[in-house]
Parts: sequence; C-alpha cells; structure tokens
Amino acid sequence: MHLTDVVGVLVETVVLGSIYGLVAIGMTLIYGTLRILDMSQGSMVMLGSFVGWAILVSAGWSPVLAILVAFVLTFVLGALTELISVQPLMGRRGFDFEMVTFITTFAVAIVFANVALQIFGPFQKNVTPVVSGGIEIYGGVDLSYQNLTMAGVSIALMVGLGLFLARTRWGLAIRAVAQNLDAARLMGVPVMRLYPLTMGLASALAGIGGVFLGAKFFAYPGAGDLPLLEALIVVIFGGLGSLPGTLYAAYAIGFIQASAEVAVGTTWSLPILYGVILLVLIVRPQGLKGKPSEARL
Amino acid sequence: MTTTRPDGDPAADELGARIGRGRRLTIGEIAAIVALIAVVALIPLVWSNAYALGVLITAMIVLVLNVSWNFVLGIAGVWNFGQLAIYAIGGYGAGLLMLHTPLPPALAIVCGGLIAAGVSILLAFPTLRLHGIYTSLLTFSFAQVFLFVVVNDPKGLTGGTFGFPTVPGLYSFLSPTASLRAYFWTMLAVVVVATLTVAMIRGSRLGIALRTIRDAPSYAAARGISPLRYRVIAFAISGFIAGVAGALYLSYNQSFTTAAMGLTPMSIDVTMLVIGGLGTIWGPILGTSVLTGLQVSLVDYPGIQLTILGAILLVIVVFVPGGLVGLLSSIRRRVSAWVEAGDDDDDDRAAREEREALSAGAPTPRVPLEGS
Repeated sequence: MHLTDVVGVLVETVVLGSIYGLVAIGMTLIYGTLRILDMSQGSMVMLGSFVGWAILVSAGWSPVLAILVAFVLTFVLGALTELISVQPLMGRRGFDFEMVTFITTFAVAIVFANVALQIFGPFQKNVTPVVSGGIEIYGGVDLSYQNLTMAGVSIALMVGLGLFLARTRWGLAIRAVAQNLDAARLMGVPVMRLYPLTMGLASALAGIGGVFLGAKFFAYPGAGDLPLLEALIVVIFGGLGSLPGTLYAAYAIGFIQASAEVAVGTTWSLPILYGVILLVLIVRPQGLKGKPSEARL
Repeated sequence: MTTTRPDGDPAADELGARIGRGRRLTIGEIAAIVALIAVVALIPLVWSNAYALGVLITAMIVLVLNVSWNFVLGIAGVWNFGQLAIYAIGGYGAGLLMLHTPLPPALAIVCGGLIAAGVSILLAFPTLRLHGIYTSLLTFSFAQVFLFVVVNDPKGLTGGTFGFPTVPGLYSFLSPTASLRAYFWTMLAVVVVATLTVAMIRGSRLGIALRTIRDAPSYAAARGISPLRYRVIAFAISGFIAGVAGALYLSYNQSFTTAAMGLTPMSIDVTMLVIGGLGTIWGPILGTSVLTGLQVSLVDYPGIQLTILGAILLVIVVFVPGGLVGLLSSIRRRVSAWVEAGDDDDDDRAAREEREALSAGAPTPRVPLEGS
C-alpha cells in the first residue's frame, strides 16, 4: 500500500465520516429525546437532494438558497412527521412504543418516496456540485472543493448543534428530556412542543446532507435508502442515544468503508462493514457508547 | 403451588395457565374452515382466467412469507426485519440447486427452505444479545446489505437486477392451464400446512414459551426458559417457511429478481401483517387478502398505489393497533356481551375475555365502537 492510498483513505474518511455523522446524529438526537428510531430520516436526505436539483439545476439559483430551502422544508416536514406519526401514539399502552413508531415512521417514508416518485419521476437527476473545482493535495489524490465544503459544512453544523444543545434554552430542554423525562416535565419543560422541534431539527440536518449527497450521487426517489442504511449502521455501532458515540462511530465507519473500498473495491465494502458491525455487536451489544441495560436481552 | 405433570416442565405449565393455550375451535368453526378451504380449492375449476389465478397464486406465496414473518415478529416477538433476505436466500438457494444439481425441483424447493433456515439461525446468533430496536436495526441492515450484494453481484451467480436464469417449473410436463391449476393447489396446500403448523406451535408449549419471552422476558428467564434456545428455534422455523415461500416464488415465476426483496415489497408485507393483526393466526390471511384486493383495484394507478398503502399503514397503526383481527374480535365480544345482556356475570366475562385477548397478543383497539 502506497502513501498515496493512505492519504486517499484519510481524505475519504473525513468526507464520508462527516456526511454520515450529519445524518446519523439526527437519528441519535431523536432516539435520545423521543425514544424512537426515525425511519423517515432517509426520505429527508432524498427530499434534500431534490431541493438541490430544483434550485441549483432547474432554477439555477445560489447554493446558499438551496441549503436554506432544504433546511426549512425538511424542518417543517420532520416536525409534521412527528405530529402525525409519533405524537398520537404517546402515552398509550398495550404495545411496544419503539416498534410501533418504527413502523409508522417507515410508513411516512413510503409516502414521501412515492410522492417524490409522482412529482419527479423515477429517473436519476444530476445535481450540479454546490462548488466546483478542486485541489491536488498529495501524489494525485484529488480533494474537490465540493467534498471539502461538504465536510466543512457538516462539521460546522455538528458543532452548531453541539452549541445549540449546550448553550441555548431549547437545547438544554432537549437534553433535559433525554436525561430524565419526568424531571424535565416537573421543571416545566413543554415536552409536547419540544418533540416536533427535535424531530424537525434532526430532519433538517439530514435535508442539508441531502443537498450535498445529491451532487455526490443523484437525486431520485430511492436516494435516501443507502444513506439511511449507513446511518443505521453508524447508530448501531455508536450506541443509540449517545451523541459522542455517534460521532466516533461515523468517522470509524467512514474509515472502515474507505479502507475497504481501496482494498477490495466498492462492491464488498458494505458487506465488510456489516461484518465488522456484527463482530462489534457480539462483543459490545450496546455499541460503543450506548447504555448496557438498553441493549441486552 | 405449581402442579407438575410427570413429563412436564413446571415452568412452562404454569405459564400455560397464565398466557393461555388458546381457545379450542368448535366443530362448527372447524367445518367452516374446511368449507372455506374447499371453496378456495374449487376456484381454478370454475374460473380459468389466467391473470386472476396468477394474482391469487402470487398472493398465496406472499401469504406463506407473511405467515413465517408473523411467527417470528408477532408470536416470538423478535423484531426481525430481515425476513425478505431469508425469503430471497431460499429462492436463490433452490434456484442454484435446480441449475447445478440433478435434484428434482420439488426436492430443491425443500432444500431451499433448509438453506434459508440455516442462514436464519446464523442471523439469530448476533441478535441474541440484542433486544428491541437494536434487533430490528441489525436485521433490517442485513436485508439491505444482502440486497446490495445481489444487485452488485460480481460473479453473476444470482443474475443481479436482471433476474435469476430460467429454471424448470414444478409442472413443466403439464399444459400451461393445468400447470397453473397445479400451482394453485400446491400453494393452497402449502398455505394450509404453514398456517396450521404455526397455529399448533402457538398453542403448544413451545409457543407459550415464545410468547412468555415476548411479554415477560425476565419472568421467562427466571422460570428457566432459555431465550437463546427458543429464539434460535423460532428463527429456524420461520426461516424454513420463508425459504420455502421464496423457492416457490422462484419456481412459479421460473426466476427471481431483486424486485422481490427491496423496500417496496417489505413495506407491502409489513402493511399486510399490521393491517391483519400481528401475532394472530388469522392476521396474515386477512391482511394479505385485503391488501391484495386493494392492489388489484389500484392496478391502473401504479403511482399512487404505495402512497395509499403507506397512508393506510399509518392510519391503522395509529387508530387500530390490533389490526383487523383485533377489531373483529372486539366487535364480536361486544355483540356477545350485548346478546347476553342481563346475565349477572356479564361484566366479569367481558373483563376476562379482554384479559385473554391481551395475553394472546392482540392489543385491544382503542377506536370507539359504541355504535356496534
């Protein structure tokens, strides 16, 4: 293995890891706060990539606008998803809440994918990169400005999310609910307004991720499937509900996938990744940072 | 105190008293079921529309898959969302055997089921230490990764998105019409056998143990019921049935494509299970029938078909969590309570039946039924 490969793997790790982190951190945020696994996150990525296509390619407007529109649209849709598919089920007894919401958010994802299919058709649409050009950093390893921006924006958003959670009133409220729902309620946190906010926020992160991923791949109704799968693998690996765990896992998964792509090619990188996850789960069923009691039988 | 049968396992017996072996069918009900099967069996004789028969055969294949999925998901309570990969493995396994060995097709189908059961057992082990949402994540990713591997199949073993190479049908020596009828009856027999097997297991000691692990895991473990052993058994049985369904899909279509196992079929199958009622015997049958009818009636509007499906799934889960079976049994309970009104123990009976329904895994639907 040459040094070029090593540099290539490292660059790819940062790029892949940042984008996985952006989608997966939303899932973790939702799981930590609402105790649900949001299967509609993938469709938010897909919607984001269609927004990217509509604004960058169809209308020819600025990338900043695309990101803003994607943020607002997916925020609203995410909050609506919560109000429709999660809120009515809260506090009811007689079924497993986590599992039933797994199915309802999945149902929402089906609806989104098929509405997109109706509006935009099944064909893959090219999305122009948000920024063009690139630099050669070492021995033929190219770093496109698109990838650089993607990693930069993702990291900035994750830092922003961290600051929001640590410093603002609403962020504190989200963390309080995640740590102890009853205590948060007693302190007067408006939990039922907080839930749509959390889910909107997480969906908006995935939506912005979609604008960039649309340029890396394509915009089409199934564009969210693979990011969803990768985000799922990241959150299993990191441990559901743990934000630091998700971040470490995102970069670890990015590294494993980038190395596997260099070593054996794209076809087998996902199965190899899955094999690694299986091994990790056999040793640590709760993932890197999850709480042991949540995962064990 | 526990009463122990000489041959028995006291833990399972006491749980049997608590969770219930299920109601024995009356003679009338058995007769009705036999009559229903007989009527269905007569369909291909009076109705020779090839398109309609094809739809019914495909629906029955999906029904067998749903019976197996319902067993592991609803009865054993293991949130396995990798069932479509197991189904596909049964299909591809049987197909490879048909192409590369001199095995007769019928035997290859059984072997496909065995291969699927083997993979299903392997899948059971990593999920053993997980519960709830982690299980569904792991199995869902398993299905997606398997799909990804087949789509990108480098060696061309499975044919990828283009489909598996043509295999000989089960009844290729018959005329097309006769072959269609033979497939219909074969599928009907498989549906009956699979449903009966699952129904018998559900009421047996094995089924009681599985449902106890589902509803009260710590209690089950404390009574000496090994989650490990029973989860592996559940995966093996459901894997075998799913594998046979996949192999029959391959045999009937004489091919197998990735279209049979992506997110779209998964959403349709999950909707069928949830609409029918998870964990019940009639659930898969009702759900598959209703949704097949819906799909056929929406066949001219392929675009909105899945949108409607997703919306229905959402509405059913939110408003009728017990599915159609839960709804029907609740209506029946209310009607019989109304018929017997005046009896002194009326309320007791309703309460007891409510409890039984709950422990049988059919959550009471929370829709207002005051008018019925």
